[in-house]
Amino acid sequence: MFFFYIYNRSRASHRLWSSAPLCATDTIFALSSGQGKCGVAVVRVSGPASALALRGLTGPDRPPAPRTAALRSIFHPQSKEILDRGLVFWFPGPHSFTGEDSAEFHVHGGPAVVSGVLDALGSLPGLRPAEAGEFTRRAFHAGKLGLTEVEGLGDLIHAETEAQRRQALRQMAGDLAQLYRDWSQRLTQCLAHVEAFIDFGEDDLIEDGVLDQVDNSVAQLQTEITCHLHDGRKGERLRSGVQVVIAGETNAGKSSLLNLLCRRPAAIVSPIAGTTRDVVETCLDIGGFPVLLSDTAGLRETADAVEQEGVRRAREKVEQADLTLVVVDATQLPTDPLQVPVFLGAHLLAVLPHGVGLEESLRHCILVLNKSDLLPVEQVEKTQTFLNKNPGLPPASLLSCHTSHGLENFMTSLQSRLSSLCGDPLAGTPSLTQARHRAHLHECFQALGQYQQYRDVDLALAAEGVRLALTGLGRITGKVGAEEILDIIFRDFCIGK
Amino acid sequence: MLARRVLNRPRSLASPSSWAASARTVTACDVIVVGGGHAGTEAAAAATRVGAETLLVTQKIQTIGALSCNPSLGGVGKGQLVREVDALDGLMGRAGDWAGVHFSILNRSKGPAVWGPRAQLDRPRYRQFIQAELLSMPRLTVVEGSVEELLVSEPDPEKPGKHRVTGVRMADTGRIILARSVVLTTGTFLSGSLFMGQTTSPGGRMGDPPSGSGLSRSLKEVLGLRLGRLRTGTPPRIFKRSVDLSLAQLQLPDQRPTPFSFISNGTHCKPEEQLPCYLINTTPGVERVVRESLHLNSHIQQDTRGPRYCPSIESRVLRFPGRQHQVRLLREIPALRKAEIQAPGYGVQYDFVCPTQLFPSLEVRSAQGLFLAGQINGTTGYEEAAAQGVWAGVSAGRRALSLPPLSLSRTQSYIGVLIDDLVGRGITEPYRMFTSRAEFRTSLRPDNADLRLTLKGYCDIGCVSPRRYEEAVRMKAGLSEALSALQDITLSPTRWREKLPQAAVSANKSGIMSAEEVLQYKDVSFEMLASAFPDVLGPYVEFAERLKIEAMYRPHCEKQRREIERILQEESLSLPQDVDYLSLPVSLSQEVRELLDRVRPATLGAASRLPGMTPAAILHLLNYITRTPQRDRSAERSSTPDPQNLSDESRDSFPCVPVSQ
Repeated sequence: MFFFYIYNRSRASHRLWSSAPLCATDTIFALSSGQGKCGVAVVRVSGPASALALRGLTGPDRPPAPRTAALRSIFHPQSKEILDRGLVFWFPGPHSFTGEDSAEFHVHGGPAVVSGVLDALGSLPGLRPAEAGEFTRRAFHAGKLGLTEVEGLGDLIHAETEAQRRQALRQMAGDLAQLYRDWSQRLTQCLAHVEAFIDFGEDDLIEDGVLDQVDNSVAQLQTEITCHLHDGRKGERLRSGVQVVIAGETNAGKSSLLNLLCRRPAAIVSPIAGTTRDVVETCLDIGGFPVLLSDTAGLRETADAVEQEGVRRAREKVEQADLTLVVVDATQLPTDPLQVPVFLGAHLLAVLPHGVGLEESLRHCILVLNKSDLLPVEQVEKTQTFLNKNPGLPPASLLSCHTSHGLENFMTSLQSRLSSLCGDPLAGTPSLTQARHRAHLHECFQALGQYQQYRDVDLALAAEGVRLALTGLGRITGKVGAEEILDIIFRDFCIGK
Repeated sequence: MLARRVLNRPRSLASPSSWAASARTVTACDVIVVGGGHAGTEAAAAATRVGAETLLVTQKIQTIGALSCNPSLGGVGKGQLVREVDALDGLMGRAGDWAGVHFSILNRSKGPAVWGPRAQLDRPRYRQFIQAELLSMPRLTVVEGSVEELLVSEPDPEKPGKHRVTGVRMADTGRIILARSVVLTTGTFLSGSLFMGQTTSPGGRMGDPPSGSGLSRSLKEVLGLRLGRLRTGTPPRIFKRSVDLSLAQLQLPDQRPTPFSFISNGTHCKPEEQLPCYLINTTPGVERVVRESLHLNSHIQQDTRGPRYCPSIESRVLRFPGRQHQVRLLREIPALRKAEIQAPGYGVQYDFVCPTQLFPSLEVRSAQGLFLAGQINGTTGYEEAAAQGVWAGVSAGRRALSLPPLSLSRTQSYIGVLIDDLVGRGITEPYRMFTSRAEFRTSLRPDNADLRLTLKGYCDIGCVSPRRYEEAVRMKAGLSEALSALQDITLSPTRWREKLPQAAVSANKSGIMSAEEVLQYKDVSFEMLASAFPDVLGPYVEFAERLKIEAMYRPHCEKQRREIERILQEESLSLPQDVDYLSLPVSLSQEVRELLDRVRPATLGAASRLPGMTPAAILHLLNYITRTPQRDRSAERSSTPDPQNLSDESRDSFPCVPVSQ
């Protein structure tokens, strides 16, 4: 089986070499260590320009010996500002994780240092932020992953795509989303107009005025994009940290849970169903992990317009969440333990988003059965024992926000989820996402320049510019399509017949 | 006279004269093409070029190559198709050069990639050319007649498909003709109905008898294909003498007509003998008549999908009135106040086969040996029909000769775009080609169709004559020599300003510039460079226009190359056509399984473009294709009638091999 694979690869590379020069590969970079409080952050670079990146950030002298740690000052290649002093590594290909030339910067873990290094790398020619799972895929191409690792790659890509989707959704909520959507609509219209003029201009009485409109729109868009690029800091503040959302039916005790976790009455609690109508957010440090905790309106059908909006916002929050705490009123639990999974399953279905597949949602959720103080002691014990051994459900904790009974259990479970989430470098790294946005916006801007350059010379080439601009903008939304994945798979590597 | 030539030609087949005498006799050939329109003629010609003994069945030899609707060939997008059909050695381009009486390049001001070569044709001359070509073609027999039904038998278990088409039964004589491949190009004749006013009659074209319902039944009931219904129409014909041309807008042809064909030495019509065209506009009165007579127009009232893009009067105002109303309508237009109708306009409704049921070779997925081309696949237009005809003919011929099927990539040709759109996405209205359908149109230009297709057409496909091949080779060598000569001339911007003041090389340009870069300037022509460097560039003046275009587009085509390579590689990964996705031992979600089962994409590339497909699923599929030996895969097939038939040999389950790049 494996021979078949090798055979294909060698044949493939033969064909690539013989038919055309191998096309240049982009050099990619990303924060490879997890998010959260940590002493050291690892920024990884891979691709042909890795040596350039190393020289650019640490100076031309004393290149580190291959695969050996070297202590260097790390500075911004343009401003020459010192960013940090840290360890650098140089891994010439093929003896690296990806098989390509690679470099690593081990810097101090603060967000300012990390984003400084990422910005510095992004300013070098030929470097761009890595897409989800790109390092792993490169390793796959280079044959650096064993058979079993490759089998798991699909799941990995799935998880990373999922993380990026949530990240994108988060960023796309609000003004920024509105802005990008608006740009994208206008660009689509421009392209449609140019195309119409090309395909039907001759016979179908489409006037030249159509193009003048496009000219105006393109110029306007260029101005807006430039302003946006130079105005990055004033843009929507990206929220850092793991997004944890408390959700559930009305009066289950969601706000009480929030207050319990922040040890202060951050949200109003009352026995009246529908007390919380808006999203209440608070920043917390839970076991050393930065958490943005949101309390949401209880999910129920309601005729109250304000509450309806609250419910809509709650659902939106759950969509964007890294982790959802589904709060259930334990007094509603059926007394027969065998009925409990069905009951809880129905609750989960009602709260969690279905769009991405329930299984995926379940993996990002903890069940909180509140109001245990109102249950008879023997039922609490029976239920807890039952929950502990039921693998079909997400982790579930029985607790009382009123007496704090069971809190310790819950915190252990919450921290273990947080630590695995923070180990995922994609969960909330705004600087990386921002760098990607900037790269694509820049692409978009340049492509619009192509339109203007060719407007009067060659309309086919001008239209191509608008099309490229639209593609660039489309990538910002964080959509990782199957094609992008294949793009990388096939770019360097010829598989198949 | 033409018909007699058919009768007199010695054939390996029974000659038509003996046909009438011996009804029910069984004869055989490699390929049968049913239909003598633009798809059928190209299919028949292409199959013979590939080397197959071919039989063309048509209702009337006299109407072979008829331009049933307007007399115009080419245009924006369609002109590219004509050039590509020609590059594959088809008939259409040469016929257009022979019959054209008015040549112009549309979109002249918008860039060579979207130029639309177009000609107005003399109908009889076009028909004569096509008929003369076909009737003198070796390996091709033309017979008059109607096909009653397809002969269908058990499939070859080695290949995908539920049925196998083995030939046709003729309508009148009941004669059976066996063939390894059958190409159907029935146009609007498949269950066609003609509409004029409120009268409806069966038929596919005014003046021709309707086809029997047998074929429709063969496709629908025997082969179980999904059919749909489409609508089209053709305008009334008016005597020129009855038109007041002084009230019309004059449109002159290009002074130097550009031939369609890469091997034509020019157009048959002399530049100065070209005819002008006249443009007239509708008036509010026209709209009023159309509205008033709408209740008399059953064609338009019926709910059948018609083309949104047909540039005829019907799409502009509303639709057809009856004959007397056509007169009334026409006479609302000043220039047509005295118009006399030679033949009235009419509408046609016809069956088409949902083209997602085809392989990219245009073979029906479920019926081995059956190929479809032209309007039967839901397209509209002569050029679209001819393009499919060439490819169906090539595929049918290759199948008959036991050669592996091929597919054309959408990154390499408009024909590839057309077929990929049809079989990959299907249609909701009659499909017409536009340049915006081709993602890589700056690479797929009308000027370079020969470099894209002729060389492959000779070496890989086998449908191009040596003469045309040699011309393409000469062209390619000339262009690449000239381009390297241009690259070798390098001067500083200051020197360029002295040498070529017209070029307006910017004063703040630094470094050295090659002549190729200078040629990219808007106001620089190759002729200017050639007169500045007569010794080096003088020999290449014949390629001047193409060199200018090449220089303009090369940087952009380079940028596109990576994307093109990616798509080509995806397309090279075929998915087995008869795999049972629902039980495939690969980690896929139920939704993805059902999606794959429903659409059955031909390649991994097609699968990745499906909405609802996930990256992880693509990776698992990729892993499955590349890691599972074919023998194991074949065991997972769903449509295996008898396990005994699964011999040990590994067989090729791939529907099509892309033409090598």
